Amino acid sequence: MSDGEQPRAGKVVPESRLRENGKKAEGGDGGNANEMDRRALFRVGVTAAMAVGSVALGLGLRTRDGHGKSKSLPKLKDHRVDKIQGAVEMAIVRGPDAAANVRRAVEAMGGMGRYVKRGERVVIKPNIGWNRLPEQAANTNPDVVAEVVKLVAAAGASKIWVTDVSVNTPEQCFARSGIEKAAKAAGAIVVRPDGPAFREVDVQGKLLRTADILFPFVDADRVINVPVVKQHGLSGATMAMKNWYGMLGGQRVKLHQDIHLSIVDLASMIKPTLTIMDATRILLANGPTGGSLADVKQMDTIAVSSDEVALDAFGASLLGLSPTSLGFIVEGMKAGLGTPEWRNLKTEELGG
Amino acid sequence: MRIILFAVLAVIPPTLIGTLVLKGHRAPPAEHASASARPSGQEADATLRALFEPPPTGTKIKEKITLYDEKGLFDFIDGAAPIFIDRHFRKLAAAEIATAEGSDLDCAVYDMATPENAQSIFDKEKSVSAKAVDGWPEAIAGPMSFVFHHTRYYAKLTAFDAKAEAALPAVARSLKEKMK
Repeated sequence: MSDGEQPRAGKVVPESRLRENGKKAEGGDGGNANEMDRRALFRVGVTAAMAVGSVALGLGLRTRDGHGKSKSLPKLKDHRVDKIQGAVEMAIVRGPDAAANVRRAVEAMGGMGRYVKRGERVVIKPNIGWNRLPEQAANTNPDVVAEVVKLVAAAGASKIWVTDVSVNTPEQCFARSGIEKAAKAAGAIVVRPDGPAFREVDVQGKLLRTADILFPFVDADRVINVPVVKQHGLSGATMAMKNWYGMLGGQRVKLHQDIHLSIVDLASMIKPTLTIMDATRILLANGPTGGSLADVKQMDTIAVSSDEVALDAFGASLLGLSPTSLGFIVEGMKAGLGTPEWRNLKTEELGG
Repeated sequence: MRIILFAVLAVIPPTLIGTLVLKGHRAPPAEHASASARPSGQEADATLRALFEPPPTGTKIKEKITLYDEKGLFDFIDGAAPIFIDRHFRKLAAAEIATAEGSDLDCAVYDMATPENAQSIFDKEKSVSAKAVDGWPEAIAGPMSFVFHHTRYYAKLTAFDAKAEAALPAVARSLKEKMK
């Protein structure tokens, strides 16, 4: 029940009618006067109880859902670009050179200039969640990240951030993954998830109403998602949509309680410009942490699209999973985020 | 009729409020049977920490030993946490270790409360392509990784270079000797 329903209580037992009833009782049947007073008193009491109860309930619910904030918070922008009729909607490139695969795939999608304009500020979001080497395939391949930075720079971006909220110690993750070094060398500003890096945002999701988000996602004109393909113990797989967990501060436990809906909720909040999926090496088991090279498979594949559901469906096929077996893909389709039928998109496949 | 309607409407808000309040004070779900055999918290924490004190032979702790409980486990292994919690995980001790040659390895020892739980998580996470370890059926070795279970503990060691990988079996045996 919301605050807006309080007037309804007043409507049921208007105060003016209570007074009228009282007067009628006084001037009419004197034997019923006390009873009428009691009734009137009872009605006033009931009305008051309902009003107090409704307000208290409303306040309780507001607190529970995090609605209690009265201050105005920034919202996330829509970072997408307009679709071009007849353009390639998904590019898949296979080959031994990860950087070359990125270049070819982005070129097949119309080139980075279609997505990033001169002077724009761009945030690139790889998976840098784990204290793992590139060979262990728990993080996005650093060569892939570096190539994306170079393409964005060549398109004329005025500022390029590379950031993620690591699960393990950020210093270790950013260093061990090789991403910090590679991204900096390519010209990006690397933002570690320290306290001042977060900003509270009005996300208006189903599960999250507000969230602490890394500031580049609030400030950027364009957002490029660069996930890695991995098996995941809880959600079955982590790829494009799940990668958005890494823009949030401190709410992982809460979000894991309903993992598939949480993934879709997050994916609905942010509308990325482009997703460049890294399947150079994929983690087939013991994800998301990995560690053993026995769980890693070399795929030498990059897939690019603006449809995250389609990319996740493609990634699922690399992991040997049926896309419809993954709840977040089904829910993502229902939410209108894309299609798992990636073969129905205009797709260009190169190499192999 | 009106009074009945009023009474019904009046009961709804307090009932909802009561439900919300009670929800906040509801007792936690009953623990699983196997949890009854759990060691006491402080003693078990001290025993777990003692696996690293002193550090495994020929190594040193790089920074610190961190203990994670059920809630904190998500902060260490994210979405892999539920399969541990389902198996009555008690606590994790994690540390990054440096070998004498200066190579790094990641060491995570999970206190699973009972040997059965430790066996269960080992079986669950066992990589199909990992290799068996001669003379140690409760251990497997994958490239850059060594995993074993012993008593109520499940240990995962991850190497970050070839030298650390070579040191994994010795570190694992050193840990195992302390797992009474």
